[in-house]
Amino acid sequence: MLDYTFHWRPALRALPEMLSGALVTLEIAVLSMILGTIAGVLLALARQSGNRLLSGFATGWIELARNTPALLQVYMAYFGLGSIGIFLDSYLSVLLGIAFNNAGYLAETFRGAMRAIPHTQVRAARSLGMGSAKAFRLIVLPQMFRIAFYPMTNQMVWAILMTSIGVIVGLDTDLTGVTQELNVRTFRTFEYFAIAAVLYYLIAKLVTVSARLMAWRLFRY
Amino acid sequence: MIKPTALVAGMAIALTSFGSTAQADKLDDIIASGTLKCAVTLDFPPMGFRDESNQPAGFDVDTCRDLAAALGVEAEIVETPFPDRIPALVSGRADVGVASTSDTLERAKTIGFSIPYFAFQMVVLTREDTGIDAYEDLADKRVGSVAGTYEAIALEDDIDEWDAGGSFRPYQTQADVFLALSQGQIDATVVTNTVAQATIDTGNFDGFVVQGDAPYITDYVSLIAPRMEQGLINYLNLFVNQQVRTGRYEELFEKWVGGEAPKLSVNGVYY
Repeated sequence: MLDYTFHWRPALRALPEMLSGALVTLEIAVLSMILGTIAGVLLALARQSGNRLLSGFATGWIELARNTPALLQVYMAYFGLGSIGIFLDSYLSVLLGIAFNNAGYLAETFRGAMRAIPHTQVRAARSLGMGSAKAFRLIVLPQMFRIAFYPMTNQMVWAILMTSIGVIVGLDTDLTGVTQELNVRTFRTFEYFAIAAVLYYLIAKLVTVSARLMAWRLFRY
Repeated sequence: MIKPTALVAGMAIALTSFGSTAQADKLDDIIASGTLKCAVTLDFPPMGFRDESNQPAGFDVDTCRDLAAALGVEAEIVETPFPDRIPALVSGRADVGVASTSDTLERAKTIGFSIPYFAFQMVVLTREDTGIDAYEDLADKRVGSVAGTYEAIALEDDIDEWDAGGSFRPYQTQADVFLALSQGQIDATVVTNTVAQATIDTGNFDGFVVQGDAPYITDYVSLIAPRMEQGLINYLNLFVNQQVRTGRYEELFEKWVGGEAPKLSVNGVYY
């Protein structure tokens, strides 16, 4: 049985602090998505390249990113690299750890999306005189992003939620970090975590809604 | 469709059972259940840790067992990291917290504290190669501690106040702080004298040294219980008093820490 009286007034006073935390969360998620998308496209290409070394590297990355916990990946970026003398600060460890994870998932999404584009289109482009790079840039890439758009939105939401593990490597500026700091200072766990949950929900919702608006605008024929 | 009579009968049962639990307080519940569930932090030697056979041990663990013995029930140690102590109590996973909890006024708005059952002196723990000799040397260094602990709050406040290029990192467990210190993510931490000594004694961390005291007010720590369980808190107060009175406090201090046990009373004021 929950025997607890809620103190909302002092908890809500911390709202500005939590909102600035939410901004950091969003920032990490956006940056990790940009890095992850670039790396994801390269990984998807590398995996299909036919070059043993490249596709081996890409397969290794994707397997690790998709089959180990994100928590472990962030922990390794901080303490794992730390043990061999490479010191990333907390923010960078979280950013790179999540970008690593994003890239792994997105690479597979992109590979599937590329497969969905009929190969005859590339052949047609080539017979019109386009080089293979130009055909990829003008024919494959735009359609790939169109197919992969909604899965990418999912990944973005997932990235936002994943930033919460930053607290394990000492990140104290993101939403979870700020929340945990307030929690241990005052012990008003339920209030702060409830506010944080609402904020996470709102950020995630904001992302999906704006993605839908963007899609409506971008993908009109 | 539920029959009205069944509904009424169900409500009556619900009401009477609710009524009976509302009358018995936590102290009654513990005695009736035969088990005392203590939230203890087990990465905080020598207060709470796991021994060679992976069993909970330490000053807090023994204190919990003494308390259970006094109540005539079995002790059950619920391992609880520092930030989870209060959720553990509020959610009922633990009955009392025997986890070196500093009795701040901010926390007292949420949780009930007994009179202090232990007191810590804070020291600076660093590596030999950092050139840190005293607390004031931390001003421009990267330091860290366990999020939300007494020493973490004091250290972060001082770093902010010095504003001399130093930075503070909060970690979730004491083990992560020592890992970060040994790797060089941070250059120093402020911990309780007991933890510092116990950590150096393990021999797991080469080059760790204690460099002077941190000038904080003595960190008194208390047993914790849900704030409204005044009956239980009264019992805890008497228990702490008896531990000191019977010499058991000094005995436990000698067993786990060694040296002169710190005084638990503050001069010039009633508790």
